[in-house]
Amino acid sequence: MLEIRNLHARVEDREILRGISLTVQPGEVHAIMGPNGSGKSTLAQVLAGRDAYEVTEGEVLFNGRDLLEMDPEVRAAEGVFMAFQYPVEIPGVSNTYFLRAAVNAVRKHRGEPEISAGQFLTFIKEKIKLLGLTNDMMTRSVNEGFSGGEKKRNEIFQMAVLEPTLCVLDETDSGLDIDALKVVSNGVNALRSPERSMIVVTHYQRLLNYIVPDYVHVLVQGRIVRSGGKELALELEEKGYGWIEAEALQTA
Amino acid sequence: MMANLMTTEGPKLARLLDSAPGGPEWLQRLRDEGRAAFLRIGIPTTKHEEWKYTNLRDLAELEFVDAPQAAPASPWDGTESEAGATFENGRLVRWQGAEGVTIEPIAACIANDCPGVREHLGQYARPTEHPFVALNTAVFEHGVVVRIAKDAQVEKPIHLRFVNGAADRPYVTNPRVLVVAERGSEAFILESHYGEGVYFANPVFEVKVEENAHLEHVKVQQESDEAFHIATIEGHQEANSVYHTVSASFGAQLSRNDWNVYLNGQNVETRLYGAYVGMGEQVSDQHTRLDHAQPNCNSFEVYKGILGDRASGVFNGKIFVHQDAQKTDAKQTNQALLLSPTATIDTKPQLEIYADDVKCTHGATVGQLEEEALFYLRARGIPFDVARSLLTYAFASEVLDHITHEQVRDQVERALYEKLGGGFPV
Repeated sequence: MLEIRNLHARVEDREILRGISLTVQPGEVHAIMGPNGSGKSTLAQVLAGRDAYEVTEGEVLFNGRDLLEMDPEVRAAEGVFMAFQYPVEIPGVSNTYFLRAAVNAVRKHRGEPEISAGQFLTFIKEKIKLLGLTNDMMTRSVNEGFSGGEKKRNEIFQMAVLEPTLCVLDETDSGLDIDALKVVSNGVNALRSPERSMIVVTHYQRLLNYIVPDYVHVLVQGRIVRSGGKELALELEEKGYGWIEAEALQTA
Repeated sequence: MMANLMTTEGPKLARLLDSAPGGPEWLQRLRDEGRAAFLRIGIPTTKHEEWKYTNLRDLAELEFVDAPQAAPASPWDGTESEAGATFENGRLVRWQGAEGVTIEPIAACIANDCPGVREHLGQYARPTEHPFVALNTAVFEHGVVVRIAKDAQVEKPIHLRFVNGAADRPYVTNPRVLVVAERGSEAFILESHYGEGVYFANPVFEVKVEENAHLEHVKVQQESDEAFHIATIEGHQEANSVYHTVSASFGAQLSRNDWNVYLNGQNVETRLYGAYVGMGEQVSDQHTRLDHAQPNCNSFEVYKGILGDRASGVFNGKIFVHQDAQKTDAKQTNQALLLSPTATIDTKPQLEIYADDVKCTHGATVGQLEEEALFYLRARGIPFDVARSLLTYAFASEVLDHITHEQVRDQVERALYEKLGGGFPV
């Protein structure tokens, strides 16, 4: 599904990703962990197509096609979804309008007919409940006046509606209390399927108690320095990132 | 030495003064004041502080003829209303009252000395300073007096419709409107301007909002791309009243609004919302002035401009807090979005505060669309061009959400959508 080969990226003069290679098969959940500034979020942003980052080396193949060549909207239409760490407020555009426009843009890309406002409301009804959102929030402007937890739930709701095949969660757990974390995790777990892959970027192991990964990778200074199963996350939780950073520096 | 013809003859518009109508003595005094002021000030140049960024040279050059008879259909013809008046090419052609609302031609009101006319006319829009108020006062013939009766609850919009038709040569309209919202009344005024061809519209409104009255006033300006539109609205509020205004300014090659409100009573609330759009070579100038003259009043102002191509915009928002106006709470925001590197905006918030216990804030931003928001939409599959159109529309439509009448709001939002060239599905 996704193949990242020797990916290097920088912002202005600063190199942030320094040779990342990662293969994600359909249905797999990969956690990307690492200390602050290790490049986790940059990786998520590069996959989503943020042009603030310049890819200087390497390639990313999505279902065999060059992902880096695609505009962000094409990536989304092809099935890539990033849940933002800081969801953006868009005054004047209602949630429902925004999401229907997104769904129809994606459907158009796939050569499918657009869906009407009425059909759309039926379609999202169950998903609104799943994420504990309200109809009132749907008619409000995108993320405007939402609490931190509501914004994150809204991200996962969008994911549920757009039904992507590759989900990238960028620090979705940051700023969530335990109840919100459970709601968000339930939403994510409901979307797990043999055809859908996930990359879960997080600083803390806590999220991974709820969204249990198949693989855990540790990023330090723009490189994956260690990969393992879900138990690696527990080890990091216990020992912190210090030892692994020290190890990485020695071998570098 | 050759005499400069322009200065010896005065502005071409001054010829209108030659055929100025008469009237009773009290009116004649106002007309004379206007005439003197217009001859003194003339058509202001950019050296005039209030006209620094709006160049009227093209207007000054125009030769005017009599207004034509025929007027086009207006997109506002079908809007729900009961009471209202229609002006075609500056002439009052139809008017109708409703329960709680009387509408009469201003000429008849003056001739019959209707109650209040003498008391209010020319008292808020003084003919001595603003050259175009001066001109209007000196020469106006057509207009209406709108009176909303004490405690009347008028549900349907009172629609004042101005339609201007194309003529071979430019013409001038000087409509004059006096609105009196009597004590405890509640009403909604829609003022729509639409036209074709070249003309100069110079409407002057005086709006009196008496104690405990609640008046919403929505103005939509969709004059022709060749037209000049210079308008003055002077609001005057008494205690415990609410004057809620929304200005949507999309048309004319050059447009100027002076929307001023005098808060002359305690516990007054004034809301000024405005959305203006300029494309091509349009010039859109929005001036507002709020006079907080009494204690315990609130004013809330949000103006948003969108300027593309080589258009230019001006926002000048004055707030005067007089010495007695303690506990004033005034908040002003103006934002402008520049869609092209050749579009310009000059913004000038101006606060003058002579009371010591007040809360006044103002904020001005000028910029492009937010990259963050654009990326967010694109990351959800919405193409770049669509995302840009949608965000541009949303920027201004937020202001129009303050129109409380649903049909009017939808229609103004539709006009904004079309003005911006659509670009996203509705």
